[in-house]
Amino acid sequence: MQAAEAPAQAAPCRSCRAVEFLESSIGKKIMVALAGLFLCVFLLTHLAGNLILFLGGPAFDRYAQMLESNPLLPLAESGLVILFLIHIALAVRARLANMAARPVAYQVYKGKDARTPGSSTMALTGTLVLVFIIIHVATIKFQVGGAKGPDLFGHVTGWFHNPLYAGFYVVALIGVGLHLSHGVQSAFQTLGINHPRYTPMLKKLGAAFAILIALGFISIPIYFGFFNRAPATMQTNGSAMPIGPIGGAQ
Amino acid sequence: MNLTLKIWRQKDAQDQGGLVEYQVENVSTEMSFLEMLDVLNEQLVAKGQDAVAFDHDCREGICGMCSLMIDGQAHGPDKAATTCQLHMRRYKDGDTIVIEPFRAKAFPVVKDLVVDRSAFDRIQQAGGFVSVNTGNARDANGILIAHETAEKAMDAAACIGCGACVAACPNASAMLFVGAKVSQYALLPQGQPEREKRALSMRAAMDEEGFGHCTNEYECEAACPKGIKVSNIARLNREYLRATIVSD
Amino acid sequence: MKLESKVPTGPIEKSWDKHRFDLKLVNPANKRKFKVLVVGTGLAGSSAAASLAELGYNVESFCTQDSPRRAHSIAAQGGINAAKNYPNDGDSVWRLFYDTVKGGDFRAREANVYRLAQVSNGIIDQCVAQGVPFAREYGGTLSNRSFGGAQVSRTFYARGQTGQQLLLGAYSALMRQVGAGTVKLHSRREMLDVVVIDGVARGIIVRDLVTGKVERHWGDAVLLCTGGYGNTYYLSTNANGCNVTATWRAYKRGAAFANPCYTQIHPTCVPVTGEYQSKLTLMSESLRNDGRVWVPKKKGDDRKPDLIPENERDYYLERKYPAFGNLVPRDIASRAAKQMIDEGRGVSGSLSVYLDFQDAIKRLGEDKVREKYGNLFDMYHHITDENPYRVPMRIYPAVHYTMGGLWVDYNLMTTIPGLFCLGEANFSDHGANRLGASALMQGLADGYFVLPYTLGGYFAGTKLPKVTSDHDAFKEAESSVNAHTNKLLAVKGKNSPSVLHRKLGHVMWEKVGMGRNAKGLNEALQEIPAIREEFWKTVAVTGTGEDFNQTLERAGRVADFLEFGELLAKDALTREESCGGHFREEHQTPDGEAKRDDEKFCHVAAWEYKGEGKDPVRHEEPLTFDNVHIATRNYA
Repeated sequence: MQAAEAPAQAAPCRSCRAVEFLESSIGKKIMVALAGLFLCVFLLTHLAGNLILFLGGPAFDRYAQMLESNPLLPLAESGLVILFLIHIALAVRARLANMAARPVAYQVYKGKDARTPGSSTMALTGTLVLVFIIIHVATIKFQVGGAKGPDLFGHVTGWFHNPLYAGFYVVALIGVGLHLSHGVQSAFQTLGINHPRYTPMLKKLGAAFAILIALGFISIPIYFGFFNRAPATMQTNGSAMPIGPIGGAQ
Repeated sequence: MNLTLKIWRQKDAQDQGGLVEYQVENVSTEMSFLEMLDVLNEQLVAKGQDAVAFDHDCREGICGMCSLMIDGQAHGPDKAATTCQLHMRRYKDGDTIVIEPFRAKAFPVVKDLVVDRSAFDRIQQAGGFVSVNTGNARDANGILIAHETAEKAMDAAACIGCGACVAACPNASAMLFVGAKVSQYALLPQGQPEREKRALSMRAAMDEEGFGHCTNEYECEAACPKGIKVSNIARLNREYLRATIVSD
Repeated sequence: MKLESKVPTGPIEKSWDKHRFDLKLVNPANKRKFKVLVVGTGLAGSSAAASLAELGYNVESFCTQDSPRRAHSIAAQGGINAAKNYPNDGDSVWRLFYDTVKGGDFRAREANVYRLAQVSNGIIDQCVAQGVPFAREYGGTLSNRSFGGAQVSRTFYARGQTGQQLLLGAYSALMRQVGAGTVKLHSRREMLDVVVIDGVARGIIVRDLVTGKVERHWGDAVLLCTGGYGNTYYLSTNANGCNVTATWRAYKRGAAFANPCYTQIHPTCVPVTGEYQSKLTLMSESLRNDGRVWVPKKKGDDRKPDLIPENERDYYLERKYPAFGNLVPRDIASRAAKQMIDEGRGVSGSLSVYLDFQDAIKRLGEDKVREKYGNLFDMYHHITDENPYRVPMRIYPAVHYTMGGLWVDYNLMTTIPGLFCLGEANFSDHGANRLGASALMQGLADGYFVLPYTLGGYFAGTKLPKVTSDHDAFKEAESSVNAHTNKLLAVKGKNSPSVLHRKLGHVMWEKVGMGRNAKGLNEALQEIPAIREEFWKTVAVTGTGEDFNQTLERAGRVADFLEFGELLAKDALTREESCGGHFREEHQTPDGEAKRDDEKFCHVAAWEYKGEGKDPVRHEEPLTFDNVHIATRNYA
């Protein structure tokens, strides 16, 4: 019965090693892992940028302006989109193939405790994160739902005054954390990096990174949504201040 | 002790199949799990009913013939053991045990708990060997292999091909099996001449059989009766990536 | 029937070389015109099938398991012998030959054994080249350990899984040929008959175990590599599927069965625990390198082993056989254990003696012991729930290997031309007792290095008319197979085949086991036919012959064991001497050692089938010892 349903991905271009690689189970996973690791780098820079919110409106808006004015931004943004698309498309394809690999499910499936909350929910957290990203980009970048403040700082913090929005943000970021808790160390394994001395370290690093990213991002809606609900306009005065070094805006 | 068994019965590959409940009485703790099934089968046959089909042979954990998903765990609850090494002292009176076949598209059910694992043979045919004809070998000590390397290769070579890795994997992936084989040869000097060819062709054969993709959940390692490590999967990833890049 | 051994004349050192030269060759282009059917995929079957395919023959390979890799060779633990003399301890081809002839208690054919020793080194080379991960020293050279019956370290090993690794090596070679299209693989097939046309083996009848379909396969030669018959005893270290069916049915078609009474009882197995036990597990002989065998000195001493002080322990092997100590050959170690138990000095509460590692752990440390024997210790722990690093293992002898088998000439051909027999299934090299680590050596010698030559000689020297599977002989064989199946299905009794198998096993163990005597054997010869009769009246085979039916498979095998067991007992009764694994209590020295009768029994006994209900005829092939001086074995 298995011969009749030979996988559709049987390389369309056998001579072409790159296509074969991308169509292969291992190749797909390697691409997902590579894209994932690059996305981790993005997450880190994005977090660093967001934390500037804590430095107040002027600092944040200066940072935003600096970003916006960078001529390479469209390039970076398209790169980011491509990374996301590769990560998502190949992961979805792998997932579909995996579902087809066991057409009759077990009545009871327990395993032997190797899976982690992160590893067993990758598809779920991945989907959650995707939905989050769509809402996030729509509301923050394209201002769907209207502007929440006179400037970017006001707009962002304004959204966090909405408890539903802030709550969803927190839940989504917990999802990101879970996703990373498995994803980071898994990416190294997929890239073939497994060593009795370094792998335990990498696993810890992955966990630490997941916690850092999740807590780092979550701190923002918590702070602006619950502890600092000053009206956005109060903070906008500073936006007229001359642009100086970000670190100096205290 | 007395036990309730819920066993997957399926007449043949085409049949739908389903769980059927059986009672077994006077099971002693000394018995192995398969001996407990022998007792059930003797009772069934004496009553004129069809015995439960299950694969088994050596009954000492080395041939890889026995399988079974026992209460959702490949080879049952023990670690580093095959089903034939599982003993009934693990259970207590009144327990209910659910027994299913190893499930994967690449392991179609033959009957009841018996599945067809010939996919593993075909993967091996694709490159799981060193091409050396009988009589072509030089003196065995002409190839020096460090103690540690030989031990590592042996760790990988210990695979018994039972398929528990596939059965336990949430994705029905065969990466631990293929990883172990590719690793054994990648580690040893004898495997070097065909190193790239092997990684490429065994990967292709594995995908062709319809096994799933590895998502590094490591249930395979936990289920492996021989304790084969997932570092072998990493090595397979590495070998495949390397072969893709360096071979023409 | 004439038993022509075809042993070459002249000095033994030259005989194989001379014979190989004398054998005619098949032109490379003609090889693919010959179809060879290889039944069984253990060490002998896999290695033969792969090697023949490499030479260019058209090969078809059959096995009952779902994959050829599962043949029971996989379970061999300890190692494989070779005369490499890497440890520089005085080994040589001659010494391996000598040890094997002596270990076999002077009941093997000298020339065969010499050839075995000669090709032993090539086996190691071949296996290493295949990537078999043998144990290595830190410098990268191969490690050796000692085994019973030898005073040199000549055993190569891969932890306690040597058989597995060697088989996987041969399997990988076989898979390579299957992938190349030179071998056609038929798994889950059971051979149920040999087809003989004009006195020559030309095919086999097999049953597809999945569909129940009975198939005819023609060939120019048939190789039986189907293992031993240890499961006649029901409980043995063999896998559940091991059976005598292939060789027994060949016997009924005219192949002589040699020395069926030579069964090896292995001294170190996990003792029996209950009635429902389905098999006995071997603890490798290699354990006797470091483990010390002992029983309490006092009868009925039921203290825990660690409470029995050193001076109240009897290390009986070291006491009785100081030169070889714990490493005496298997037959001797087994009988000594039986003696201790019979004296009432076994371990309290079970039929067993101790195998103790405390000294080794003290000397080498637990880690080193784990590295050497870890998997064996784990296996023991799984079965008994006792930790052998803390308490001594309890062991007892169990049926393990069978030296007897189909009679073959020097070319490994049976008395049916075109039907060859390799590995444990033949009788050729081990005499009345096999030394440890020699089974793997023989299986691979036959498959890699002997048969590929001798089969060519057969093809080149024989005119084989074309046959097809439409021949009347195929029809006749197929209908006899079907009739047998239908007969089993028609009984519709109440006893599952295993119930009756267990009954047979009980008689075999009690009366044709470690100690045999005329009275017991005569009783067995009454009881076995009675069980057989009961079998055909009461066996229950449910299901049909047209699908996957393990009860039917089992019943067919048990039916054959029930016939074969009688021949085994008959052979044991006629061999009025003690030799190797065959111990007749009437023939022993005052201190309980085996007493051979070289005057009357220095020969191979080969039995010829004469038809149902008729007595088989016993033929003799005299054995001569021109190179090893025939003497009483002495391991003291």
